[in-house]
Amino acid sequence: MITIALPKGALLKDTIELFSNLGLDFSAFLDKSNRQLQISDPTNTARALLVRAQDVPVYVEYGQAQLGVVGYDVLREKKPDVANLVDLKFGYCRLSVAVPKSSPYKRSVELPPHGRVASKFVNCAKDHFDSIDLPVEIVPLSGSVELGPITGMSEAIVDLVSTGKTLKENGLIETDILYESSARLIAHPLSYRLNRDNINELVAKLKSINY
Amino acid sequence: MIYQTPAGARDLLPLEVEQKRWINDCLQHIFQKFGYQRIVTSTLEWLDTLTAGGAIQPSKVIQLRNNGESSLGLRPELTASIARAAVTRMAGNTYPQRLCYRANVFRNPSGGHHGRQLEFYQAGVELLFAGGVLADAEIILLLSDCLRGLGISDWSILIGEAGLTRSLLSAFPESIRTEVRNCIANLDRIALESLELNAELKTSALMLFDLRGKPEDVLHRISALNLDDDARVTVNNLKSLIKLLNSSAAKPLPLTLDLSLLQTFDYYTGIVFKAVSFQDSQSYILAEGGRYDQLLGLYDPQGKSSPGIGFSMSIEDLHSCLLSTTKLPQQAPKSDCLVIPTTTEVEAIALRVARQLRSEDDSARIEIDLGERSEAAIKQYANTCRIKQLVWIEADGSSRIENLE
Repeated sequence: MITIALPKGALLKDTIELFSNLGLDFSAFLDKSNRQLQISDPTNTARALLVRAQDVPVYVEYGQAQLGVVGYDVLREKKPDVANLVDLKFGYCRLSVAVPKSSPYKRSVELPPHGRVASKFVNCAKDHFDSIDLPVEIVPLSGSVELGPITGMSEAIVDLVSTGKTLKENGLIETDILYESSARLIAHPLSYRLNRDNINELVAKLKSINY
Repeated sequence: MIYQTPAGARDLLPLEVEQKRWINDCLQHIFQKFGYQRIVTSTLEWLDTLTAGGAIQPSKVIQLRNNGESSLGLRPELTASIARAAVTRMAGNTYPQRLCYRANVFRNPSGGHHGRQLEFYQAGVELLFAGGVLADAEIILLLSDCLRGLGISDWSILIGEAGLTRSLLSAFPESIRTEVRNCIANLDRIALESLELNAELKTSALMLFDLRGKPEDVLHRISALNLDDDARVTVNNLKSLIKLLNSSAAKPLPLTLDLSLLQTFDYYTGIVFKAVSFQDSQSYILAEGGRYDQLLGLYDPQGKSSPGIGFSMSIEDLHSCLLSTTKLPQQAPKSDCLVIPTTTEVEAIALRVARQLRSEDDSARIEIDLGERSEAAIKQYANTCRIKQLVWIEADGSSRIENLE
């Protein structure tokens, strides 16, 4: 049976809706009282794993799930060895650099060398500052990154922005967009190449829904 | 830290050694039946030798400090070493050369992986100074005989054609060709779709991305393309190969033709292949190989290039695949007989008896009891070690045989 890794959090609802279009009902995961992390759809054609978004590519790379849905941001940050098949066109957001409204710096190139930048996306942040040849100290955080500049720990942050509301309420402004992100369908490379459990048919159907 | 191996390295204990020996003996036996001779090359090579083919990045090699002028590395694979040995040390020998090996290789784990394995065991073959469809067929059939001989279930072989893919890629402008190639090699369809290509090139890029499936179907689709003469020859060779394999294999081979099967950097020029198996939702790459018709030239003092093809099998993955079956030896080798001198005076007699027993049966394992324990302790030990027979050497020099249940 084919196994699909689904991301907890912001993408879950749209992901479950996507698969319901194919007749695969994983809506049990949306039930607040559900504690199960692995379920089969009622027709018993596919199994779904509920994992943290960052862990979706891990399950797919190691082949425990043949397919997965995950944001492009996670793929950029982790660079997993998976097949990137379909842009699912939901879960839009962007990875941006932001600074306090009062900051004298209006673009990331203006930031002082060896300044501090707080981020959950350590690799993406490093790649960005490497690309503009600016040496900075990246401070890894795992949430509430906006507090970095507010408390004075860092000059700037690199974080996901969807509406910009959180930034605004914390007195930060966006200076640079590093890239835009949306949900992606990924597959275990060998399973995809060998069309295990008829993955290709499922992928083709998902693709046709998306265009 | 002196009590541990470095992260990524490990010790193999007797049972695992016995199981892997069984796998390797089985493979070497099949290699021999195809006329392959074993070669042993150096574990250490110049870094330049290991990386000359372009497929191995220096960062992948575990490098060693020495006082000499040039860097040394632990071999990450055998093909470079065998190619070097064959063209320099075996020049003038009769051709073709069929060589096989069983060896350990070392790879520097890439950053971000904690404690990932760095020492691996491989068995493999290289068929040197021979090109052509028949040589390709021999190698694929040898590989499938190995997989069948070991009793692996649910395996298939993915076959690509590096030369053909390269020639299909040559339709793309040089400025963007590497990107197209990387997208296809890394199975990144989304990046491929977003490349700046005109409609016609985009269609052919996506078509190339999807060129995989049953060999006959894929070949049919390729034949319909607008190919240059070289590519046409390659496609015909590929057709002959598939036909040859289908008509000569004992059972139909589970083959998938996949033209996106390439590494971002490699030295392959013709067919490339991987043998894959799935066990309990875990995938294993059991073997990898391909044809390299330019590699030998890099090591030839005159730069004369010669064809070659080969594959390496991963002993670890074969072992994991077979672990859940009963094919592997389930126990470390046990002794058949324990010879026990009951007093110090008869120790010499015990040693003589043991020697006699060993010479009577070449395969028998005969142990000597080293003394200083009671009869009960000896029996307990024999029981634990599953020793079936005890030979007690009594004080008067006579021996008493006791068979245990």
